Amino acid sequence: MGRGRVEHVFDALGDPGRRSLVEAVASRGSATATELAAGLPVTRQAVAKQLAALADAGLLRSTRAGRETRYEVTPEPLGDAVAWMVDMGATWDGRLDRLGRALAKGRAAR
Amino acid sequence: MQIEREIVFPASPAEVWEALTEPERLEEWFATEVELDAQPGGIGVFRWGDGDERRAVVREAEPEERLVLDWEDEGQVVLELDEVDGGTRVRVVERSPEWSTALELHALAWVAVA
Repeated sequence: MGRGRVEHVFDALGDPGRRSLVEAVASRGSATATELAAGLPVTRQAVAKQLAALADAGLLRSTRAGRETRYEVTPEPLGDAVAWMVDMGATWDGRLDRLGRALAKGRAAR
Repeated sequence: MQIEREIVFPASPAEVWEALTEPERLEEWFATEVELDAQPGGIGVFRWGDGDERRAVVREAEPEERLVLDWEDEGQVVLELDEVDGGTRVRVVERSPEWSTALELHALAWVAVA
């Protein structure tokens, strides 16, 4: 995972308003700026701008739907981080298992 | 981003420390070929059977208590030893500095959302 991409995702999610938009899109499956703005005390234009920023960071995927842009969430940007945790966790489980056996062998040899 | 593991081995802190710092003992569990000078500033070279090689610098080495290695490419591994009933508790923390703690929180929030 490149540092630039991580920072991009981090910046995009650093703003509480954007985070709640991501949550709103996720809970609806997909949404347009008009749909999201209907339930918020902000303009459609403001929502559209934030959605575009989230799409730039790779957190949302956009598709054109007539005159509107429809967005849905893409969990991939954080997938690399989760993969690292799983791989490194498994690596250490294996190492500690072998360490336990090495210690037992060391004891037996004494 | 980090992973943590904790395990108690039925061995003394001295035995565990030896297994954590002596190259020939490390070759029994950590890597296929090990060179390590287990003192602050010392260099470690670890090679695996698949051709992978990682280098590290020893940041801290308090015998039978704490060993910290900074990986040359990225991240850090902290190994802490504690004498407990029945042996030695080993705590491992491996960190990857590319992911900040704040992002990790977002990652958790993300999992909750997805």
